[in-house]
Amino acid sequence: MRSKLSFIGAFFLAVSPACPQDDPRTDGAQFRIAQPGYRYEFPRDHFDHPDFQTEWWYYTGNLKSADGHRYGFELTFFRQGVHRDSLEKKSIAKKYDFEKLAWAVDNLYLAHLALSDLDGKTFYHSERTNRAGPGLAGVSKVAQRVWNGNWQVHWNADSQELQAYDSRFALRLNFNSRKPPVIHGENGISQKSEGAGHASHYISLTRLETRGIIELDGKKNAVSGLSWMDHEFFTQQLAPDQAGWDWVSLQLDDNTELMLYRFRRKDRSADPYSSGTYIDAAGKSFHLRSTDFVLQPQPETWTSPETRATYPIHWKISIARLGINLEATAALAQQEITSKSGWSPNYWEGAIKLYGQRGDRPLTGAGYLEMTGYQSPLRLGQ
Amino acid sequence: MAILSLQNVSKEYVTDGQSVKALSNISLEVSGGEFVALVGRSGCGKSTLLNLAGAMDFPTSGKVELEGECTKDLDDAGLTRLRRNKVGFIFQSFQLLHTLKVSENVELPLLLAGRSDGESIVRNRLAALELSGLEDRYAHQLSGGQMQRVAIARALVNSPKILLADEPTGNLDTATGNIILQLLRKLTTETQTATIMATHSVEAAAIADAVVRLRDGKIEEIIRH
Amino acid sequence: MRWFAYATEKSKKLSDIEMPRLILFYRLLIRPLVREPVRSALTLLAVALGVAVILAIDLAGNAATGSFRSSVEALAGDSDLEVIAGGGIPETTVASLAQLPYELRVSPRVEDFAVRADSKQTLPLIGVDLIAEGERYLQKINSGTPESSKPAQSDAEQFTDPASIWIGASLKRNPGDRLRLIINDQEREYTVRGVYPDSNGIESAILMDIAGAQNALQRFGRVDRILIHVPHDRELDQWQKIIGDALPTGAEVRPQGTGTVENRRMLAAFRWNLQLLSYIALVVGGFLIYNTISVSVVRRRPEIGIVRALGASRNSVLLAFIGEAAFFGAGGAILGLPFGRIMAAGAVKLMGATVDALYVSSTPGAVELTWTCVELAFAVGLSVAIASAYSPASEAAAVSPVEAMARGRREFGARMHKWRDLIFALVLGVAAAIASRAPAIGNKPMLGYLAAILLVAAAAFAIPALVDAVASGGSRLFGKILGVEGLLASRSLAASLRRTSVLVASLATAIAMMTAVGIMVGSFRETVVTWMNGKLPADLYIRPAGSPGTDRHPILSLDLADKISQLRGVATVDRLRAYEISYDGLPVTLASIDIRGRGSPSGSTFFSGRREGEVFSELRREDAVVVSEPFTSKHHVKTGDFITLSLGRARPRFHIADVYYDYSSERGNILMDREILLKYLPDPAPSNLAIFVAPGVDPETVRQEILHATSKYRILIFSDREIRGQAIRIFDRTFAITYALEAVAVMVAVMGIAGALLALVIDRRRELGLLRFLGASTAQIRKLILVEAGLLGLLANIAGFVLGTLLSLILVFVINKQSFGWTIRFHWPVAVLLGALSVVYAATVLAGLYPAQVAVRLNPIEVVVEE
Repeated sequence: MRSKLSFIGAFFLAVSPACPQDDPRTDGAQFRIAQPGYRYEFPRDHFDHPDFQTEWWYYTGNLKSADGHRYGFELTFFRQGVHRDSLEKKSIAKKYDFEKLAWAVDNLYLAHLALSDLDGKTFYHSERTNRAGPGLAGVSKVAQRVWNGNWQVHWNADSQELQAYDSRFALRLNFNSRKPPVIHGENGISQKSEGAGHASHYISLTRLETRGIIELDGKKNAVSGLSWMDHEFFTQQLAPDQAGWDWVSLQLDDNTELMLYRFRRKDRSADPYSSGTYIDAAGKSFHLRSTDFVLQPQPETWTSPETRATYPIHWKISIARLGINLEATAALAQQEITSKSGWSPNYWEGAIKLYGQRGDRPLTGAGYLEMTGYQSPLRLGQ
Repeated sequence: MAILSLQNVSKEYVTDGQSVKALSNISLEVSGGEFVALVGRSGCGKSTLLNLAGAMDFPTSGKVELEGECTKDLDDAGLTRLRRNKVGFIFQSFQLLHTLKVSENVELPLLLAGRSDGESIVRNRLAALELSGLEDRYAHQLSGGQMQRVAIARALVNSPKILLADEPTGNLDTATGNIILQLLRKLTTETQTATIMATHSVEAAAIADAVVRLRDGKIEEIIRH
Repeated sequence: MRWFAYATEKSKKLSDIEMPRLILFYRLLIRPLVREPVRSALTLLAVALGVAVILAIDLAGNAATGSFRSSVEALAGDSDLEVIAGGGIPETTVASLAQLPYELRVSPRVEDFAVRADSKQTLPLIGVDLIAEGERYLQKINSGTPESSKPAQSDAEQFTDPASIWIGASLKRNPGDRLRLIINDQEREYTVRGVYPDSNGIESAILMDIAGAQNALQRFGRVDRILIHVPHDRELDQWQKIIGDALPTGAEVRPQGTGTVENRRMLAAFRWNLQLLSYIALVVGGFLIYNTISVSVVRRRPEIGIVRALGASRNSVLLAFIGEAAFFGAGGAILGLPFGRIMAAGAVKLMGATVDALYVSSTPGAVELTWTCVELAFAVGLSVAIASAYSPASEAAAVSPVEAMARGRREFGARMHKWRDLIFALVLGVAAAIASRAPAIGNKPMLGYLAAILLVAAAAFAIPALVDAVASGGSRLFGKILGVEGLLASRSLAASLRRTSVLVASLATAIAMMTAVGIMVGSFRETVVTWMNGKLPADLYIRPAGSPGTDRHPILSLDLADKISQLRGVATVDRLRAYEISYDGLPVTLASIDIRGRGSPSGSTFFSGRREGEVFSELRREDAVVVSEPFTSKHHVKTGDFITLSLGRARPRFHIADVYYDYSSERGNILMDREILLKYLPDPAPSNLAIFVAPGVDPETVRQEILHATSKYRILIFSDREIRGQAIRIFDRTFAITYALEAVAVMVAVMGIAGALLALVIDRRRELGLLRFLGASTAQIRKLILVEAGLLGLLANIAGFVLGTLLSLILVFVINKQSFGWTIRFHWPVAVLLGALSVVYAATVLAGLYPAQVAVRLNPIEVVVEE
């Protein structure tokens, strides 16, 4: 799972006079919760699910230009439903003329964009927040797009086209999926903590063949490589004792992928809801329980000069069942995303290099690592 | 009875913080038809004496009486009235108003006194002073002698009892001056005014009934002819 | 004669070194000024007042027209471009701009005004996208640690609450406080969520989320402005083109701040005219300097002769007198600076009222005394002083040593050539007449002003003849009426013809300005009154309680018109809707009406003379509009021309069917049929309602009915009479500043009279003393001086009135017409003029009081010294 936005979700629940979190009947009363048995249908489920409070689309990838210059990128779209509580909606509706008012806030749309110039050892990132308004941001199955201002992903049958513009760089990338969508977890849900509904529907495209252009400082670079897409939707999934988490996506050179995450509890004990997925070369996925894998930080750390947070940037990953032993190191130490707007917490998300073995054969690859909750105990909706 | 009487008159000025005695202890009486010449050096007090006699100023001590009216008892309005009715002034530099015609200059004291019947009086005076025909001229169109005659006409227009002349011939050539002196002498007799004339000139003093010689504010001698 | 001793002692050194020249300058020129402190002070004060008025108007003009930029705009930082459209921009444009493949910052704005229910203070209301841009505002709003400047959970709630507002600190409210606001015709309670610092001079705006603002204003589907920040890798005009291509037809993109530029351009004529008016006081001051220097020259003629004989060159004499004038100029400037600053504070209020009433909503900014002001003060003070002194100074330089030392020279003004001057005056008058017929240059009535200046010059040249005719010719008459003092006074004035003429000219100029402006304003007022009688045919008028203004058009709830038209006693309800749009680089009011009630009862308000009904039925038939008279003069169009308007998505072309007289605003108005405007701007809410009462029903009864039926709306109901009264009050307030300017000019002139009379008294002290010898009482001396003052006043009133009447013709028919485009019917405001002239006359006579007192106190014995 990805995400800081859970926290944002948390605080919007606090905003709406939300409901005791352990009571599944009232939890986000007007929002649906992720429950087992959900019937996935594509391409419909690539687009939005407004019945659920929180939803996001993540694109990350490791790309290389013709001359071997390496880049990592991240583009994320978040949708956060607000005001779905019936009581509040009524009281707001009395004041607002929702019918006519395009600017009324039903959902918040946040987006993060980052480019890691790995060989240039520079990290660029920016964020934006919008309401749907008259079309500032949104998700449209009709238009086959997910967008926030001029950051967008447009679906075209199985391929996707990503465009994002920043003051210093621009991305124009084409994705072609080599594998079918992966649905993480069991019975169509990815359980995040104790209790019904504390789970998400979590879909990934784990091997997106990528071609396109990265424009940086006015120079256009033709690039190619592999990208990864996550799409997750849910209503209120975290427990208050979860202090943060670490998440990795690994694209291995033997045409397999791994997704692993682990929660860090406030009392530093192991969280049984940590889990993962293994996707074999044929595209078949296998659920991994917390006991199936080890995701272990090594002493090597990097301290952010901006937030003073200390992040481990070297990890050991092993999955005994698969005979996989890997070392993951940050391709660039500074890949921390800080929020100027304050809408989301600061976190580290960046490209990683992988090397190790499967059995006795060497195994390499690349991936993305996300680490949250290192700066301070994250504030959760109390 | 004397028309003008000065009794023990003294006058002090305060200039730059210093007291200057302009006149001290002057007693003098002038009767109608009497022509008195005041002589003495510059600054001996001649002008001061004339001003006191003309109700222009009060003495510091002593009494100045014009036809029995004591100036000290009068306020500014009273002095003005006294001047209007009883005093005529003649100046060395004529002091005609350049903005007024000859006749208007002569009429001025009558007008100031609020009399509007002055036209015939003015005509008479001008005729008496042989100025007929010059009525509509302006001062700057006249000769010095003419100007002084206009000034005399003006001084006499209100039939004053006292005629005060301060160096009336000072700005005139000798011949013209003499004519003016003769005129004053004649008019004094004719109009029975008490005339006081301050002068430097010996010739001028010679035609007077009496010559009062002043020195440092005191009467040095009085010579009666 | 002390300086003489000095000059003879030190004469050898004079030509050698500079220092003695300075000493000479001091002794010869400055010391005499010090010896006559009152007169010098009066001249100085007159110049200072003149400078102060100019400064005040300049400063106040900057402040009053300076703050179209709101505080919140300042807080949000600068944008480069702005998108606008008549009636608002379709809000989808915001989204299309946001999705352009460039790093643009797109900031939509909803902009209007709100009225505080408690204090009735009008405040700008600004709706911004707080979700997208919240942090940019909040960082400014919460001036604390960076951490506290980030939106917290509670902010999100606040942003989405339509009752949330953020306000400037000057409103003295704290977060959490409630504030009741009237917006359009609704009064609601709002919660203060944050306070931002608004320093002195920057208006405090109410900040809301864009959704809340749209909701409060019932303005859906459109935003008023889109501000755009562009990257600087391209030129601004390239960006303008890129963005322009992405806009709907009816919208346009222009550099940000163009609105302010447009407003300033619209105000240019107003400011320009006011500035010119402010120079009148200085012109009057110039006359006085001329007079002061002339007196100096005449008095010191013998001294000049001696100095010349001792070796001073003509140039050094010229320079000395110019230096004396410069002393007055510089001194006046120094004194004028603080005066101007103080006067500006008052002027800002007056000008602000005018700007608000006639042009555009603005909040006066701070009055700032800058170096430019100091430079202006010195520039005008010195240049007027030197220019005015040049003629008498060169006369001084022309004095020959022998002539000056010769005694018995004649009085001042001996060399007046009144006949030659009269011919000059005639020539100038003819030139003025020709100039007044010329058209405007660059929208400014340059030649109109030239005509006015020529007329003033002509008057200055004609005045000696007038003075001579009245003073000499009438002296006997004055003598008869006023006694000997009248004779003496008139003779004395006639004798010092030049001095008198200058004084009369200066006071006459001030009076003329007063008369001219008085007649102009009076004519204007009369015209407006007549126009309004024909313009308000309905019985009752309704508008929202939300702040209206010439550029503010709050709207009424949609159901109100229907509700009212169903009331008993109501015959018809006409709806008017107004929008602020930009046409051809100038702000314009666009209004639509539906004419259902009876037309104007008396006469036509159209150029064509047609009836209202006839014209409006033409408007209904086709895409035609009528425009106001100021619109035609601002945009150089006439009946039959076509104009193209940017309206939302479209740019339709309209035929000008007719032009109507309009005196309600100096901005241009465009009027069209309601149905036609709704095609382009589909917002049916009206801004105003005109209610026609059924025959035989008392409007007052209907008013009560309406009040009863509309208790939940905050509306204002006016009878036609009340509107007229209100309009006239606004009108009078608008012109208050011109009266203030005239008052200062007259004050300067009167001070000049006092100073000049003082000089006259001193110069004529021997004569005054002599009069005492000849039997004049002190009362007569006093009367003499007062009669002189009165005569000066009389002469100035005659000349001023004649000149003023001529000037008023230029003002009404040339300058007004060319600057503002109003047709004004000439009208004598008899009572006002009589009153003003009497006051001036009385002031002039009073100005003689002090000099008269000085004359009375002269010791005749001392002043009639026989040499």
